[in-house]
Amino acid sequence: MTTIYNHSRASNWLAALPIVAISLFVGVPVINIFISSIRLDSLSLLRTTAIRDIVWFTTWQALASTMFALLIAMPVAFCMANFKFTTQRIITSLISMPFILPSIVVGVAFLQILPRNSRRTAFALILAHVYFNFGFAVRLISTRWLQIHPHLDDAARTLGASPQKVFLTLTLPLLRKATTNAALVVFTLCFTSYGVVRILGGPSRSTIETEIYFRAMQMGDVSGAMLLSALQVVIIVMLFYASTKIKRNTVEQTSRPTISRRKPLRTKIQKIVATIIISSATVFALAPVFAIALKSVITNSRFTIAAWREVFRNPDILQSLSKTILYALVAMTLATLLGLFCACAIVYGNERLRIISALTTMPLVISAVSIGLGLIITFDQRPFDWRGAQFMLPLAHALVALPLTMRIISPVLQTIPDSIRQASSVLGASSWQTWRNIDLKIIRRAIISAAAISATVSIGEFGASSFLTRRGAETLPIMISRLLSRPGDSLQSQAFVLATLLVLFSTVIIFVIDSLDSSSNATTENSHA
Amino acid sequence: MSFMPSKNNQKKLTFFFISALLASACGNNQPVNDAENITLTLLAYDSFTPTPTIFDDFTSQTGIKVEIVLGGDTGELVTKAQLTAGNPEADVLWGVDNTLLSRALDSKIFAPYATKNLADLDESARSLVPNNEATPVDTGDVCINYDVNWFSERNLAPPLTLRALTSSNYANLLVVPSPVSSSPGLAFMLATIAEFGEDGWEEYWKSLKQNGALIVGDWTTAYYTEFSGSSGKGERPIVVSYGSSPPAEMIFANPRPTTAPTAVAALTCFRQVEFAGILRGTKHEREAQLLIDYLTDIKFQEDLPLTLFVYPANNKAKLPEDFLKYSLRPESPLQLDPVFIAKNLLIWLDTFTNIMLR
Repeated sequence: MTTIYNHSRASNWLAALPIVAISLFVGVPVINIFISSIRLDSLSLLRTTAIRDIVWFTTWQALASTMFALLIAMPVAFCMANFKFTTQRIITSLISMPFILPSIVVGVAFLQILPRNSRRTAFALILAHVYFNFGFAVRLISTRWLQIHPHLDDAARTLGASPQKVFLTLTLPLLRKATTNAALVVFTLCFTSYGVVRILGGPSRSTIETEIYFRAMQMGDVSGAMLLSALQVVIIVMLFYASTKIKRNTVEQTSRPTISRRKPLRTKIQKIVATIIISSATVFALAPVFAIALKSVITNSRFTIAAWREVFRNPDILQSLSKTILYALVAMTLATLLGLFCACAIVYGNERLRIISALTTMPLVISAVSIGLGLIITFDQRPFDWRGAQFMLPLAHALVALPLTMRIISPVLQTIPDSIRQASSVLGASSWQTWRNIDLKIIRRAIISAAAISATVSIGEFGASSFLTRRGAETLPIMISRLLSRPGDSLQSQAFVLATLLVLFSTVIIFVIDSLDSSSNATTENSHA
Repeated sequence: MSFMPSKNNQKKLTFFFISALLASACGNNQPVNDAENITLTLLAYDSFTPTPTIFDDFTSQTGIKVEIVLGGDTGELVTKAQLTAGNPEADVLWGVDNTLLSRALDSKIFAPYATKNLADLDESARSLVPNNEATPVDTGDVCINYDVNWFSERNLAPPLTLRALTSSNYANLLVVPSPVSSSPGLAFMLATIAEFGEDGWEEYWKSLKQNGALIVGDWTTAYYTEFSGSSGKGERPIVVSYGSSPPAEMIFANPRPTTAPTAVAALTCFRQVEFAGILRGTKHEREAQLLIDYLTDIKFQEDLPLTLFVYPANNKAKLPEDFLKYSLRPESPLQLDPVFIAKNLLIWLDTFTNIMLR
């Protein structure tokens, strides 16, 4: 895209910080562990049918999960972007909540609510993946949908297009980029998911990610594990490469929204349809959470709040609560800033900077085992012996959240027509003034969304945390998994209390940030009126 | 003006700040010989939960502080220790068991040390480490557990041997955590190899499969979701768990039931021995040796039964009454030589996967 910022070097410099961070804490360690541990004789592993089965299962379950997640997300995003209703704010927050729940919690919750014969099946696994990701897809797609100027629809309709035709020929092409982005992220998350597969897939369903863990940790075959890890990266990189080919053909919108798309529900049909869609999505999002909350107050089939009392008397748990909040704040700041830098670099910078988009997905694409093992053999010499350093955890959370924050901000940034900036600069504004008064104002909502998502990712993050946590600095998900794996009913109940707290916590954060978002939204709308 | 730093001074100032920053960053890394300021790092598996104040005595006796670092499950600990052998992340490692011992010893992650408590430690556990590369710290058993009420309500005898599990009386009643992904599951698979030999164990598992044994991913799922005797109220009354699960059910229950809800089949038990060792390359080898002494000393050993639900390795340590009352110590548990395990483990796991999981 050509913008007035093209001439400034700033966009190249913006790219530097995220690139350095990712290279240093992901790239170098992973290359290090690959080079130092992969032996060529492990290549024979790739020819075994067992590994082929695993690769095939990993791929098709991820494809199915992505498809269903998008199918469910689309109608919900439609309601969120086009209608205005009283419970909208809280429902937006509620359906985003599954995305940040730790996988062990969701796994255990689904075991509670699924009928016995469908547990530990591919169906259970895919359902849980859909559960995790549909709220995220809704957020990504509806954010973009809101950016589509309602007058465009009006114009099409005036010209005689039916609602279906408007959707197919106007809305869908404009949403294509956001949808592709959502699909890519969801696919990657499902392709590399670990905890859910362990719990719901059952022992006979290995994905590449779980196989990497078993090989490296249980069997001590680090070489084979790292080879699989490399294979996983290759598969996803190929996919992303293919997707850049698709994205080139997307339609750019030429206006920017000055009035809100959201209209009150008017006709009876609108009301019925919206009610059905929104309430099913809400029930879907809440059912496992209710199962968790119920488990926290029921021990031995009796109602008791003993576990709740014990949790609030336990100093370890209180400390864990405060650490979780602290890390979330640091990770949120880092992830949002880095995400903003990346988005700006991609949109304003030259073609070559698009590589950042691929770089930021590295922490998601590369198995946590490889990154974790890479870190301990890379940062092992003083003064860079950072094994166990406190800052590693929020940093890891930020890097995990970065691909999401960047993808929330960049599509919105891309929709800003350069003519507005040109007008501003013709009127004498400097690049910085123009950016602050135009770009920043328009992407503010996306920045807030990004901050919300990254804070909650940090709160629920499990994979990297389990590698980097030190005693006395456990985050909530780590506490939960430790309590769950220890014998005794009361400890199990305490785990479910913490899981319930985590859900409340994240829902509150999302809700508060969403409220800020919509109030700022209201002021911009008023100022336009 | 004189109070403004000149350009040259500014440079010096910047240099000063950067070096101060570096110095403070490196400060805590300077080797300190004074024992008063030494903090030892004890790396352990996630479920290492002794009484939090248990190291206070050690610190007041020696002046050495102990920081506990939890590093995942035992397999994870050993893999990380292998990768960092000679330049370890910690000073002492707690929790390598006999199924992983050989892998740990082969990659030379430990610096040998003969503790002053050696003579008091369980003899058969000691015999696994004749060169004192590591020190046995506790023992435990992995056994078939069953739901006492489920069997008494149906006037059915619980299964007492491994062979009994293949009987049609117990069809569709057993749940086993997978040996590929769970350490009690692995111990149980080794129990069947110890019992039926290298020639017979595959047939045994085939008949278990025909008899409807359920394999799940991890111990938590097996015990808390599928087993009928735990809070999960699953549907299967027989599960592979620990010999100390019955006392745990009693001691953590609130309110405490009058009779133990679960029991152990003693003849099905596989002995697990856990070791602690000094990680080779530690900067504090002498202090680490003192810690090994403390870990095998009576005070610490007596803390283990009710916190980790294992038996002390030190024969002089006394067992708490609650623990004695509800736990069952098999007299002749099944065992396998760690070297034999390490040599065949990958093949066994592959065989198991082919029989049970495909």
